[in-house]
Amino acid sequence: MARLLVQLKLRLLLNALRASSGAKVAFILSTLCAALVAGGVFYLLSILGGGIAAADLTTAIFSVFGLAWLIAPVVVFGLDSTLDPATLALYPLRTRPLAVGLLAASATGAWPVANVVGLLGVTIGLARGALGVLIAVLAVLLQVLFCITLARFVTTGLAGMLRSRRGKDFAALLILPIFAVYEGFIQVVAADGSLTAASFGGIDRWLRWTPPGLAVHAILDASTGHAGTALLLLALLAGIIVVLGVAWIRSLRHALITTDTSTQSAVHGSALPFGRYGLRGTVAARFWLYQRREPAAFIYWGITLVIMGVVGIRAALTPDYLGGLLASAAAGGAFTGAFHANAIGMSGPGFGLEAAALNGRRALRAYFSGQNLAIGVIAVPLVTAVCFGLAAVAKHPLAGFLGLAVGLAGIGAGLAAANLFSVALAFPVEKRAGTPMPRPTSGHNGAGFASWFFTVIGVGTGVTPVILAVVFTQSAPAAIRLPLLVLGAAGYGLALAWGGVRGAAVAAEPKLPELAQIAIQSAL
Amino acid sequence: MSESAIAVTGLRKSFGPKEAVAGIDLEIAAGSLAGLVGPNGAGKTTSLSMMTGLLRPDGGRVLINGLDMWADPPAAKAVIGVVPAEPRLFERLSGEELLEYAGRLRGMPATEARSRAKQLLDVLDLTEDAKRLVADYSTGMRKKAMLGCALIHNPSVLFLDEPLEGVDPISADTIRRLLTRFVASGSTVLFSSHVMELVEQVCDHVSIIDKGRIVISGTTDEVRGGKTLQQAFVDLVGSRANDQEVLSWLGSSSS
Repeated sequence: MARLLVQLKLRLLLNALRASSGAKVAFILSTLCAALVAGGVFYLLSILGGGIAAADLTTAIFSVFGLAWLIAPVVVFGLDSTLDPATLALYPLRTRPLAVGLLAASATGAWPVANVVGLLGVTIGLARGALGVLIAVLAVLLQVLFCITLARFVTTGLAGMLRSRRGKDFAALLILPIFAVYEGFIQVVAADGSLTAASFGGIDRWLRWTPPGLAVHAILDASTGHAGTALLLLALLAGIIVVLGVAWIRSLRHALITTDTSTQSAVHGSALPFGRYGLRGTVAARFWLYQRREPAAFIYWGITLVIMGVVGIRAALTPDYLGGLLASAAAGGAFTGAFHANAIGMSGPGFGLEAAALNGRRALRAYFSGQNLAIGVIAVPLVTAVCFGLAAVAKHPLAGFLGLAVGLAGIGAGLAAANLFSVALAFPVEKRAGTPMPRPTSGHNGAGFASWFFTVIGVGTGVTPVILAVVFTQSAPAAIRLPLLVLGAAGYGLALAWGGVRGAAVAAEPKLPELAQIAIQSAL
Repeated sequence: MSESAIAVTGLRKSFGPKEAVAGIDLEIAAGSLAGLVGPNGAGKTTSLSMMTGLLRPDGGRVLINGLDMWADPPAAKAVIGVVPAEPRLFERLSGEELLEYAGRLRGMPATEARSRAKQLLDVLDLTEDAKRLVADYSTGMRKKAMLGCALIHNPSVLFLDEPLEGVDPISADTIRRLLTRFVASGSTVLFSSHVMELVEQVCDHVSIIDKGRIVISGTTDEVRGGKTLQQAFVDLVGSRANDQEVLSWLGSSSS
């Protein structure tokens, strides 16, 4: 059974090389990243040397791997068929051999190997003497076994939920905190060079009795001649793995006979909003509900928020805060536009229903302006809040109005670009397992990139006059300058957005059947 | 013969070198319940997509109640309802919201759209699930929801592509009764299917399509020619059975 499942996993991995070019590139990049991580972590751990300071960093690295094993399988649940017990539930398999096979399948692939190779750096770094090296090898193997068992336990326990629509939504939303932590780490912590080995001082005290901490301390104790303590710690770690394994096998047994999961939840409210506002209100209602219910919409707005924050926060802490504030506001407009620059493809097959009712240019104007209203209702408060938040951090609260002016122009330009490119560069998208956001289908990556690129360029161009106005009116009294700038930028943004609506309607009218076909090809 | 609700002449469509629809002619009288049958890949879906304004033909003409679908798409689309083979729905709306949305897209006042949506959900046996998201609907429920969307504006011509595929017998019966009632009021239905028994039971007009061409078209009795529709279909399209020799191991009498 173990051999068969390992072969299955290898076949699934290698089949990526026969899939679309995008899948091939992703597979090759992932394998290269795994090799880099293996080499990098091995090197890092090997130069640490012994002692408690090294233990802090080693424990932190062991824990990061544990955390990655905990989160990654939940996010990529649908990508690895061997993670889902439902795929094997049809076959007459006994639970124990199946469990061993699934563990072996989990250990197969570039990332598990990278995990083992990288952590083996402790045999050169933390470990001292033959006994230390021997215990280090055992500790690394147990640590990886713990990670795999933990990942299996969590994914099997959550399999029913992750297969349901709500579970997929939940897994998709996990990307947001990961992205926020990553961006915060890169932009705020790591960028100014304040992240050093000393930053991890004392972490070992907190993680001492966790499985990664046990593994690290077994190596430390073996290296200082305390073989008995080291073996006891390894035995304790092995015991934890056994308990986890037993719990996982029970969970697996249950999962094999409860594979069907349907979401029975209902929505609140009884009707679509904006019933009095004709086709524009009707379309706005649908887009508004999608902003609330579609996880990708949450992710888009979350990413916009995080990007705006990280673009502006470092400058906000310095006297040269204004550049960062204006760049953050422009980024808000650019991302608002870029995330909606394929509205028709992103509507998916449902657009066929809408296309049947879009009878002429006037109706198309109502369609695009309706969707802009729903997006604007979120974008304007978001940009306003971030601009004034950054201005408050910079201790120049009135500067928030300057950011708001650029933000309003940026949102108008972004919506205009989004409308135009939704028609001119429409492309079908698909939601793939493990991917929280829809991607262009095979052969349409160029259109996807172009709509992003040109939207960002369009917003950059669109906000330039407002940025120039901000720069060249610095000597004017704030009481006159700020209201004029905000109102002028709001009018300018509205004019841009309305121009986009009109242009998109003109462009869409003769190619409605083609746009419908593109939307129908989307798999959401 | 009464006035044509659907008149198709010389409809053609190619995808690269493959000719999916090779110039079909079709005439369906108003008040008919017509079936378009054919094997997989015969061109049924492509033909229906062109007739409903969702796929631009390479050539030919489609008239719906005398309105040219490709000369004036908005006017022709206003009088038709469409249920595609793969329901095209907004997954993140509830069933109730979806039907109301479809009605409002057609220009109906919100209160009217809401009221009709409730009635249709009731007739389609979806009232209990009206507040669930479409994403959580089963295949049969999705078909019924799509049928509700297609009917909410009371079209005079209804196109359905494989309407009973994946639908349970109870839901199938509900859909069948709804279509019969719809036609009895003078409206027209054209649906594609490869379920001969269904077509034979409910249709008064049948057209058989194969390799992008209409092989035969007429009343159900004319097309059957004294045989079952299944037999007439196999005779016209040709049996493709070649399993006798290659699957000799299959079955309990084999080892």
